[in-house]
Amino acid sequence: MTVTIHLSPLLHHYCGGGPDRRVQGASVREVFAKLELSDPKLYASVCDETGSVRPHVNVFVNVESIRDLQGLDTRLVPGDTITILQAVSGG
Amino acid sequence: MEVGIAVEVGIAVEVGIALEVGIPLEVGIPVSGARRRVVADDADPQAAGVRPRHARQVRFTPFGAAAQQRLATSHALIVGVGALGSHVADTLARAGVGRLTLVDRDVVEESNLQRQILFDEADARAGRPKAEAAAEALRAIDASLHIDALVAHFDLRTFERLPARPDLIVDGTDNFATRYLLNDLAISSGTPWIHGAVIGAEGRAMVVLPGETACLRCIMPEAPPPGALDTCDTAGVLAPAVAQVAAVQSLEALKLLGGLRDQLVRGLVVIDAWRASTALFLRDAKPRADCVACGARSFPALTEDPADVVALCGRDAVQVRPRTAGDVDLAGLAARLGDAVTGVELRRGMLRFALPDGSARITLFADGRALVFGSDDVDRARAVYDRYVGLGGR
Repeated sequence: MTVTIHLSPLLHHYCGGGPDRRVQGASVREVFAKLELSDPKLYASVCDETGSVRPHVNVFVNVESIRDLQGLDTRLVPGDTITILQAVSGG
Repeated sequence: MEVGIAVEVGIAVEVGIALEVGIPLEVGIPVSGARRRVVADDADPQAAGVRPRHARQVRFTPFGAAAQQRLATSHALIVGVGALGSHVADTLARAGVGRLTLVDRDVVEESNLQRQILFDEADARAGRPKAEAAAEALRAIDASLHIDALVAHFDLRTFERLPARPDLIVDGTDNFATRYLLNDLAISSGTPWIHGAVIGAEGRAMVVLPGETACLRCIMPEAPPPGALDTCDTAGVLAPAVAQVAAVQSLEALKLLGGLRDQLVRGLVVIDAWRASTALFLRDAKPRADCVACGARSFPALTEDPADVVALCGRDAVQVRPRTAGDVDLAGLAARLGDAVTGVELRRGMLRFALPDGSARITLFADGRALVFGSDDVDRARAVYDRYVGLGGR
């Protein structure tokens, strides 16, 4: 099934491409596995060497955090949007 | 005639998905000649002691005279009066928040003027401490306000020495170490705080109500490691993005200080100013049981020694702060430095000098804290400090 990955500006500006990517996958884990192959730099900024989402990154399926769902094993349905937000430091 | 209807006020949201963030309000719709009566129904501003300068915000029905009166007796602590902090301070002062405490460790530079609205060229030329320059600007806006300016690095000691406890803490910082400290102070003391952050054209804002809403550690259990994120140096920052984030922080502050807690936007506001997009994530998120602060009631930032050498976002500078407290004999140090350095400038509470090769400029404050300009290399800054200041200066 096709879902959309929406990247915060800090991520898409520095990983190339636009804010939205269309990816196939039945779970967040599957989508991220494809991301690792297609865009390893982006993947590395989201997940650490163990495959876990970095503590300063928030991943949402639509508007719910995957920490409140089933983590990387959160199931997806067609049309879902995965939003990846990186921490913002400045002020 | 006045008709009360429920109106869903939507914030336009665009995050690849269509999302509407609604703030339900009961709004009285003026049908004919009812505008004056809407205000009178809430309270007569003049009878309620509202100053003429605040008449327009009182006239906005959801705010009203009662909230205005509460503002006048409220106290906001703004930690950091750089980009976000100067915007928020300006708004809260103009709105009539009775007491403001401004804390900032930094001095004004020309590169600040693009987005830090309380400062001007004279401040930059003089290298004035931001807290003092901001306080002076705010007093020019409203001389009746009680404004305290603290030129200091914000830490637990600074908080404990505040002349009065605040009703609200506003995040105007540019680093996660201080944000986690604000979070832990707020949760442990039961003080609300409003997080804000901005870089490039992107920002975040979030109201934290201890015991009621998720805190910073709930949504981000650990700070990013050094070098993991872009900084103002690498990504830059646009003033309109600053203004948008600060606007969210300011409005939520006015609601909270005005006693309108039920009107607060609860969740993480995510702003992409470049695309005119605002989205609300983690709506109504509650404190997490697995949060070290909200759940375990453990507050690491209150017990662990903060880093004493930190790079300053976007400044090409490093702050060096000695571990031990104690005043520096600035005049004595200036005399000892002699011609080992150049451009020695001794002012009240501050000593400036530059390395002979021009590779670094140092501003040393009387409490031993120094800003080392010219590099964001913390080790080099520590070495410069040790070489030219060291324990001998204290």
